[in-house]
Amino acid sequence: MKIVIAGAGEVGTHLAKMLSGEEQDIIVIDTDDSKLASLENYNLMTVHGSALSFDTLKRVGLSDCGLFIAVTPYETRNIVACSIAKKLGVKKTVARIDNAEFLRRVNAEFFVSMGVDSLIYPEYLAGKEIITALNRTWVRNWFELFDGELIVVGVKIRSNSPLINKQLKDVRTISQYLHLSAIKRNRETIIPHGDDRILENDIAYIATTHQHLEQVMKICGKEHIDVNKVLVMGGSHIAVQLALMAQDDYSIKIIEPDRDLCERLAEMLPNCSIVCGDARDSDLLDEEDVSDYDVFVALTDSSEANILGCMVAKEHGIPKTIAEVENLQFINEAETLNIGTIINKKLIASSHIFQIMLDNDASTARCLALADAEVAELVVKDGSKVTKAEIRDLKLPSGMTIAGLVRDGKGELVTGATRLRGGDHIVVFCLSGSLHKIEKAFS
Amino acid sequence: MARSLTQHINFPIVLRVIGWLLLIEGGYMLFPLLISLYYGELSDVYSFGISATATFVAGAAMTFGIRPTNKSMRKREGLMLTAVVWVFFSAFGMLPYLISGIFTSVTDAFFETMSGFTTTGSSLITDVESLSHGIIFWRAATQWLGGMGIILFTLAVLPMLNYKGGIALFNAEVTGITHERMRPRVSQTAKDLWLVYIGLSVILFALLLKPMGWFDSVCHTMTTMSTGGFSTKNLGLHHWHSSYIYVVVMVFMFLGGMNFALLFSMLRGRFYRLRHNDTFRFYIVIIFVVASLIVVRMWHYNFFDSWSDRVIFAFFDTIAATTSTGFTSVNYEASGEFIAIILMVLMFFGGMAGSTSGGAKIDRFLVMMKNTRNEFFRVLHANAVTAVRIDGRAIPQQVVSKAIAFLSIYMMVMGAGAIILTFFGLPMFDSLFTSLSALSNFGFGYGVTAAPGSYALLPAAAKWFLAFEMLVGRLELFTVLIIFTRGFWLKD
Repeated sequence: MKIVIAGAGEVGTHLAKMLSGEEQDIIVIDTDDSKLASLENYNLMTVHGSALSFDTLKRVGLSDCGLFIAVTPYETRNIVACSIAKKLGVKKTVARIDNAEFLRRVNAEFFVSMGVDSLIYPEYLAGKEIITALNRTWVRNWFELFDGELIVVGVKIRSNSPLINKQLKDVRTISQYLHLSAIKRNRETIIPHGDDRILENDIAYIATTHQHLEQVMKICGKEHIDVNKVLVMGGSHIAVQLALMAQDDYSIKIIEPDRDLCERLAEMLPNCSIVCGDARDSDLLDEEDVSDYDVFVALTDSSEANILGCMVAKEHGIPKTIAEVENLQFINEAETLNIGTIINKKLIASSHIFQIMLDNDASTARCLALADAEVAELVVKDGSKVTKAEIRDLKLPSGMTIAGLVRDGKGELVTGATRLRGGDHIVVFCLSGSLHKIEKAFS
Repeated sequence: MARSLTQHINFPIVLRVIGWLLLIEGGYMLFPLLISLYYGELSDVYSFGISATATFVAGAAMTFGIRPTNKSMRKREGLMLTAVVWVFFSAFGMLPYLISGIFTSVTDAFFETMSGFTTTGSSLITDVESLSHGIIFWRAATQWLGGMGIILFTLAVLPMLNYKGGIALFNAEVTGITHERMRPRVSQTAKDLWLVYIGLSVILFALLLKPMGWFDSVCHTMTTMSTGGFSTKNLGLHHWHSSYIYVVVMVFMFLGGMNFALLFSMLRGRFYRLRHNDTFRFYIVIIFVVASLIVVRMWHYNFFDSWSDRVIFAFFDTIAATTSTGFTSVNYEASGEFIAIILMVLMFFGGMAGSTSGGAKIDRFLVMMKNTRNEFFRVLHANAVTAVRIDGRAIPQQVVSKAIAFLSIYMMVMGAGAIILTFFGLPMFDSLFTSLSALSNFGFGYGVTAAPGSYALLPAAAKWFLAFEMLVGRLELFTVLIIFTRGFWLKD
């Protein structure tokens, strides 16, 4: 599918790089040559020009274009660009915005009439993601697949879990309610087999269904924390979105060093308490009785400050920390530093756009990307190789595992005795770069 | 653990991809085999059969025998692959010459093949007409494949290179200061370029079919479009004495010297891009100015009787030199060396970047000229901020210095080549001309090396050196020369 990305900012370049690895035809438009130069070595085309220029858009050729993604820093520009692109023949347009009002359902029709099919608001999505994390403090990652029929959670395994140091084949009974799909250990992702062990500090990626969540929590040695008080560091865009969405359910305190901003926040968020100061300052934290808080969320614009803030908060006894980390390189570091959940706008925005593509084009199967593993939703074709035998007898490529399946709209976990049928939707975990091999086996 | 002093280069993956490419070359050899079959030249059927089999076997052994543990291909591997694959192609492409006994020495056969693939067109064969049809066809076919590029061909037909690593290969082989992509994916770009190439070839073939007959037409089409210059006749195009042929070949050499991306956008009806293209205008102006100079010189020295002949031959030779095709028509020595040196300057700069022609490319010449003008301007206006503008857009200073550095290195390689050739006893101007001729993939010699096949008189070492120079020129210096730098192999 031909995809045009307007704006080579952080989200734009990230999407372009990822999609060009997905056999999509990518064209990136930007007015800044130096930003385009960083994409020089990727399998895509860059065009110098404005996303609002008819000439540029015509030169790109939009009549056969399947998706137009406007991710320049200005929302009005994005909307107008989408509007023009739609008129020039693009099938589907996506604009990035930063105004929650636009997302309201009553306004959707207006945007469609303007030629903007979908809107993404990364800060809003990030806020939603944080709320998911607040609801389920015991997991690091939470993914719902197939409208919640299957759930994938990432859990850090501590010494109190009964699974520790056991070989997987010795704990077969757990397979009734969970499927251990991947283990992340010291920066390396492992697709586990029967003789692999679970060690302390592993992050286990577990597929399960809704009714078994309690059991999964127990076997991982986790307890549910009822979150009441949330401490937010930094009054950024995401913090405001989070506060707007969650100020009725939680008691939220925002610590922000800029006094002017604090005053604006106080005006905007009547139900939150705003404190002017630096959240990394121990005295301030003591003064605010920080140990009472259940969750610390670091949302400043600096990834380093966020990581540091979380570590200080941990020291002050806050059990759960959430940090926004925008530099992709830092994510691994942050994970090893025991930061509970990591929020990355780029990854959230791009997986959302993936989702939009999924609706658009059934052949693109990937849904979410972990650091060096991928999770794909695939449809088993009738008569394909994998339907010929039970899973334990199939010669599946190494570095992959089938976590679960959805048959007739119901989620089920997969064991060695499962036999796939045509039409099953399955969830596959695989190491990065091996997905195309796997796609072959299922079609 | 001891630190390794050398850079890690993933040889297995390079060899494996070369194996793939050799399989393609083996398949490509079946075409001359069919020609030989058609003409009933059974000994050539045998030699092409053996060569194709050998290439296939070697290719298959490398493809399936080598199992790289690490499949990553980075910059070094990409550059290495692009440079080395041309050597491999020549090494296997020379087998038909050796087996059929046209050449007895490996040196000669390798020189002839490299001269073919790089579209240089220097030949060691004096009597072309005595060759069999299969061999004549193979000479032309090597030029046709090399004209557009081996890697580019593979990018177009094999999906396996259509990933990030393929971009490095594309950049390493396609000529020009910057590499324009016409389509989002590199394989599509390669396909489009090949479509233009094949389309133009078909048209040229049809135009030449009537006066030449199909075989000569095919061969001349392949060597004209690739701006290579091998002919099927001892006299070259003079064999036919037809103005029609000169004009047609001239037009297609001109097209071959144009940027193929530009040709492609013309095919899509975007003629306005032609008007706004500074390089194209420059290309035309150069040709007209030089051709007019030659016409005046011819008139002065009473070459030809009619003006139409003078004009046709002046333009023909100008275009043949600019596009580095190397078809020549007239012997100018009677008029002194004036024309020779103008043509030499022309072939130094060659055609447009992204074309099949050789030389340093007039795009760079244009950048240099505009930059020179700016430098002069700055002498008077010390604080002026100037930019080199091409097609209405300012070019970053970095690109300007890259172009000028390229021209300097080009001169140095040419000079070094000339010095080496004088060592083997060639006169000074002849060695300069011959060195440049190899580097710019022009192919014709001067003085000692002027007569057809006279390259055969050179000593073996000189032939190897010229073959090397051809490759350096075809891949635009850096791709090959970087392999001989310390930094490519050693860690600092």
